[in-house]
Amino acid sequence: MNDLRSDFPILKNNPDLIYLDSACTTLKPRPVIDAAIEYYERYGACANRSSHRKGRETTEKIDQIRERVAGFVGGDSEGTLWTKNATEAINTVISGFDYSKKNKVITTNMEHHAVLLPLMRLRDRGKIKLEVVENSHPDSNLEEEIRKKIDKETALIVLNNANNTTGKRQKVDEIGKMAHEFGAKLCVDGAQGVPHFKCDLKKENIDFIAFSAHKMLGPTGVGALVCRKEDLSGLRPLVVGGGNVKKVELNKIEWAADQSRFEAGTQNYSGIFGFGAAIEYLTKIGIQKIEEHEKDLRKKMVNCIQNAGAQVYGDESSASALVSFNFKGAKPHEVALMLDQQGIALRSGFFCAQIALEAIGAKEGAVRASAYLYNDQEDIKKFGEKLEKIGKLYS
Amino acid sequence: MSIFSAKYRPLAKKGFECVFKTLTLKPCDTGLDDQIKSEIVGKLLKYSPALAKIINKQFALLSWIFVLLTIGSLAYSGLGIYNFYLYGNCEGPNATGACILNDITGDYGRFSEPKDLIAPTTLDGIAVGDPNAEIKIVEFGCFTCPYTKKAEPTIQQLIREYNDSIYYVFKPFPLPNHNGSFDAARAVLCADEQNKSWELRTEIFRHQEICSTDGVLAIKNLAKNAGINMSNFNRCYDQNKTDAALSRYIQQGKDSHVYATPTFFINNKTIVGPKTVEQFKCVINENQNLFEQIGCSLGQWWGK
Repeated sequence: MNDLRSDFPILKNNPDLIYLDSACTTLKPRPVIDAAIEYYERYGACANRSSHRKGRETTEKIDQIRERVAGFVGGDSEGTLWTKNATEAINTVISGFDYSKKNKVITTNMEHHAVLLPLMRLRDRGKIKLEVVENSHPDSNLEEEIRKKIDKETALIVLNNANNTTGKRQKVDEIGKMAHEFGAKLCVDGAQGVPHFKCDLKKENIDFIAFSAHKMLGPTGVGALVCRKEDLSGLRPLVVGGGNVKKVELNKIEWAADQSRFEAGTQNYSGIFGFGAAIEYLTKIGIQKIEEHEKDLRKKMVNCIQNAGAQVYGDESSASALVSFNFKGAKPHEVALMLDQQGIALRSGFFCAQIALEAIGAKEGAVRASAYLYNDQEDIKKFGEKLEKIGKLYS
Repeated sequence: MSIFSAKYRPLAKKGFECVFKTLTLKPCDTGLDDQIKSEIVGKLLKYSPALAKIINKQFALLSWIFVLLTIGSLAYSGLGIYNFYLYGNCEGPNATGACILNDITGDYGRFSEPKDLIAPTTLDGIAVGDPNAEIKIVEFGCFTCPYTKKAEPTIQQLIREYNDSIYYVFKPFPLPNHNGSFDAARAVLCADEQNKSWELRTEIFRHQEICSTDGVLAIKNLAKNAGINMSNFNRCYDQNKTDAALSRYIQQGKDSHVYATPTFFINNKTIVGPKTVEQFKCVINENQNLFEQIGCSLGQWWGK
C-alpha cells in the first residue's frame, strides 16, 4: 500500500501532512481528479436528455458508472440512483417510504444525524412511531435489542453497518432477515462501511444502502442509493422537477418508471465520473486488502492513543481504522488544534452524532482519528509521538 | 481591521463577542480562546514542551492580562484622540510636541514634516531687535497653543542673551481648533499699535486658559492689566482693524507650509515645537567644531 501515496496530489503537495480525517472525507487520487476533469474536457453534455453525440456519450458513460457503483455493493444499476451524498440517499428512503399501512421504524442510538434527524422529524409530525434501541455498549447485542422491538407494525429498520464515532461494525444480514420475516425493510447507512469492507446488498439481506463518494476517494457532492428495482416503486421522490416524469399534463403527472424519477434536475456528472474512477481504484486494490490494512492501522492507533494517556471509546475489536478518544481535562477541539500545529489533521467535536457521543460517555465530544488506505504505520507512529507530547500537558 | 476582510470577519466577530463576555464576567463560549490557546501551545510544543505546559495551564491568567492591557491601550488611545481634538496633539498640553494643524482641525494643514517648510520671504510681524542683525528668528505661533506658550521662556532668554545680534519676528498664526486664538491674535496686533504687544503677549501666555475659556472679555481685561490705552485698543479691536494684517500672516504661514505651532525659521533652518535654549543655540551657531556638533546632535536627539 505504501506506493499509493504518490497517487494523491495533496500528499505530494503537503509532504508533512498526516491526514487522519478520512471518516469526514477522504483524499482524492489522481485518477479520480482526472476523471472529474475529463467530463468537462471530453464530454460536457447532459445525460438522458440531449440526443446529440456528446449527449449520447455522456449518457453511456453515466450508465456504465451506475453499473459499476451498483456492482460494488452487489446491486443492480436499475435500483441505483444518484444523490448528493449519503444523507440525501437516507432521506430519500426515510421521507419517501410509504407508512400508510404500518408506521413503526426502528433505529439505534449510535446513528449519524443523517438517520436520526429525518426520523425524529417524522416522529414529531406524527407520521411514524420511532423506536430507538440501545447500541452504545461494546457488549450490546443489537440483533437481540431489535428483536425485542420488532413486530408486524414495523415498516423500516434504519441503521449503519459501521458507525462514525467508534468505528464499530455491525453485521446486518441477520437483522435484514429478521426485518423480512416481519415484512419490514432494512435501510443501511453505509457511509462508513462501504468504503472500508465488502458490503453486499443481496447477501446481507439489505433493502436499501446509502453511501457517499467523497468518503471513498470520490468527489464531494455525489452519493448513491442502491436497492432492488422493485423497492424503488414504493418510494416517493424527495425532490421533483426536470427529468422525473414520463409525461405531464396540468391535471396529471405520469412519473418515470425507472430511477430517473428520483434524479430531478441536471446531475453532478463530473462528480459521477470521479465516483466511477474511485470505485475502479478501490476495486483494483481490492476491498479485502484495504480492510486488512485498516485493521493493522487501527491496532497501532489504539496502542498509540492509550500510550499517550487518552481514553479510547468503543470496542477495541472494531475493525475500521477509526478511533475516538479524549484526554482527561482537555477539550477535544484543543487537542485537535494542537495536533494540527504538529501537522496532523483530524476531527474533534460530535461528528454529527451527538446522541451517540453522549451515549458512549463523551459528553463534550471527542477527538477522532480515522485512517485510510493512503496512511501507513509511519504516519501512525508520528501521530503517536505528537500525541504523547500533548498527553504530557494534561498529566 | 479584520472586520473589513471577509476572511477575518468571523474571527473579529468571535473576538468582540469573547471580549464582551469576558468583560461581563461570562464564559467565552465562541471557541476563540481555545483556538488561540491551542495554536500557541501547539507551536510551542515543538520547541519547549515545558513552556507549552505552563501556558496551557495558565492560559486564563494570561488572557486576563491581555484583556487588561487591551482595555488600557483602548483608554490610552481614547485619551490621545481627546487630546488631539483639544490640543491638536495626542500627548496633551504638557507633552513636548507642537500644536498640529491638519484637515480635522482646519483647512490649512497639508504638510507634516520639517522638510516641507519654506522660510517666509518677508520679515513683517511683531518684531524685536535690529532688522540688520545677523540672526533672524521668525516664529509662527498661536497665543492659545500650549506649545507656543511653552516656547516663550526660551525665546525670551535667547533675546536676552543674544541682545542686538538677534532680530525676532512673531507672526500670529491662530489655530482654528484653539478657542480664543483669533481673538488673542487680533488683540496683540492692536496692542502692537501702542507698542504694547510684548506686555499683552506676556499676559496672554500667563493666563492662556482663561483666554481660551472666556474669550474677548478675558483678553480685554488682560489688555487693561498690561497698561494699554483701552479706548484706542477697543476702537482697534471692535472695528477689526487688524483683520487684514492677521489674514496676511496666516497666508504667509500657509505659504511657508507651517503645519504646527510654534514653528521657527532661524535664518535658513527650522525648528518645530518648543525646544531647549541649547537646541536653539545649536541651530543658531552654524560654525561649530566637531565636538560641539556631536553634542548638538545628541542634544537634539535627546530633546525629542
